[in-house]
Amino acid sequence: MAAIETDGLSKFYGAERGIEDVTVSVDAGEVFAFLGPNGAGKTTTIRTLLDLLHPTAGSARIFGLDSHRDSVAIRARLGNLPGDFGYGKRSSGREALALLAKLRGLDGLGRAEELAHRFRADLDRPLGQLSRGNRQKVGLITALFHSPELLILDEPTSGLDPLMQEEFLTLVREERERGCAVFLSSHELDEVERVCDRVGIIRDGRLVAVERVSDLLAKTMDRRRVEVEFADPVELSQVRELPGVAAAEFARQTLEEVFLTYYRDEEAGER
Amino acid sequence: MSALVLAQLHERRRSLLSWGLPIGLWSAFVVAIYPSVEDALAKAVASYPEALKQAFGIAELTSVEQYLNAEMLSLIVPLAVGYLAVRSVASGLSGAAESGRLDVLLSAPVSRRRLVAAGFSATAVELAAVLAASVLIAMLGSLLTGAGLSFGSALAGYVSVWPLALLFAALGIVVTGWSLHTPVVTGSVAGVLVAMYVADLVGRLDASLDWIRYGSVFRYYGRAIEDGIDPVAFVGVTAVAVTVAALGALLFDRRDLSS
Repeated sequence: MAAIETDGLSKFYGAERGIEDVTVSVDAGEVFAFLGPNGAGKTTTIRTLLDLLHPTAGSARIFGLDSHRDSVAIRARLGNLPGDFGYGKRSSGREALALLAKLRGLDGLGRAEELAHRFRADLDRPLGQLSRGNRQKVGLITALFHSPELLILDEPTSGLDPLMQEEFLTLVREERERGCAVFLSSHELDEVERVCDRVGIIRDGRLVAVERVSDLLAKTMDRRRVEVEFADPVELSQVRELPGVAAAEFARQTLEEVFLTYYRDEEAGER
Repeated sequence: MSALVLAQLHERRRSLLSWGLPIGLWSAFVVAIYPSVEDALAKAVASYPEALKQAFGIAELTSVEQYLNAEMLSLIVPLAVGYLAVRSVASGLSGAAESGRLDVLLSAPVSRRRLVAAGFSATAVELAAVLAASVLIAMLGSLLTGAGLSFGSALAGYVSVWPLALLFAALGIVVTGWSLHTPVVTGSVAGVLVAMYVADLVGRLDASLDWIRYGSVFRYYGRAIEDGIDPVAFVGVTAVAVTVAALGALLFDRRDLSS
């Protein structure tokens, strides 16, 4: 059974389109990234999955359950990091975790201490006194401390320093090993390339591509870039035949470059 | 439910200091000065226009209870505690939405209706605590100055504010069904609070406009410090408040929670 399954999921704000006809499936033990610029519909999709927004059309099922009707049962099994984590300025992370643990029927704080140690997070200072990055660490702990079956993370590494970003990626791999499905949105395409199994690219509220990361990169090998400047156009064979050249190869594009082509193509089309 | 209620009460623990203490001290001051102004008051009240006395429920000011009613319970306490009620319930819903807390709480297996019920219950307890603190401080003022305030009467007077304030908390929940901006919630319900007070006042001043008082909860507020609590009004207003809060919970359940 898929961890997440949407069918024609659409959300309009009056006449304004949030997302339209989003159909996607994420399996258990899979890390799926949702890519798109600000306003493309990533957060709208996530909030609709979490029943914070009610869909205009289509449906979403999580663990086979209806995302609206069964939302309480679903949320018992998932962990969520909102795009802008906050819990009030006066409360500490430990207070937030204590309440969430009670609401989840846990006796203690689950893995919170272990995660706090890994992320070097301060759970005892009021959240209002923490930097954005340190608040984000607390937010990640609130999403992970109860070892959920599904993680929904909106821009999870936003504000984290490179060391903590690395720690986060390690943690995501561990969660995948554990069988947890991970659905995340991100602007950090390098980390998506390193940790995700599949990506969905969303543009103007519509899902324009869903591919395995490896397939997406392989498929676009024809988009070559040779960073050598010649006075006249040349074939690669000519480059190889040049005196003094031992080898010449096409540069492999990064996921970021592939991603950007979707937008460049559109802009060129509009012009 | 209890974990959410306790968490909200923990958040609002300063209400006793920021609301209970000032209202209590003001009440204590009013009680404390009564023995020294008692004679002057009787003469002053005799010279008040009849309509004014009727509007503010001032029959005579020959007891400390009547004086406390005229100075505090006829205007200041119901308006202040009514405003506190909507402010508190808004902090648990629209305020929580603005701070991001709502998103975090709704990532746990908690329904929105349960969240609203917890906010309403916490507000009810908070209001009761603020009113209880006010009565106790007022009694302290009486004991220190020998004003002779009856504890039972004072308690009835302050307790009678509770269902009235609860109704404004419930109206605050209804407004969050449309808006999650705290100034909109508190401002609109505070406007209704003042409008209801004015409507009741106008209805009492002009007998031909008495019908207007039916649109105001202040019609059922009375003078409990002198006459005792009217159980029908107390239970009726409380029941209406709970019903309105339940309607608000339904509206809150159906709305989108945008980031």
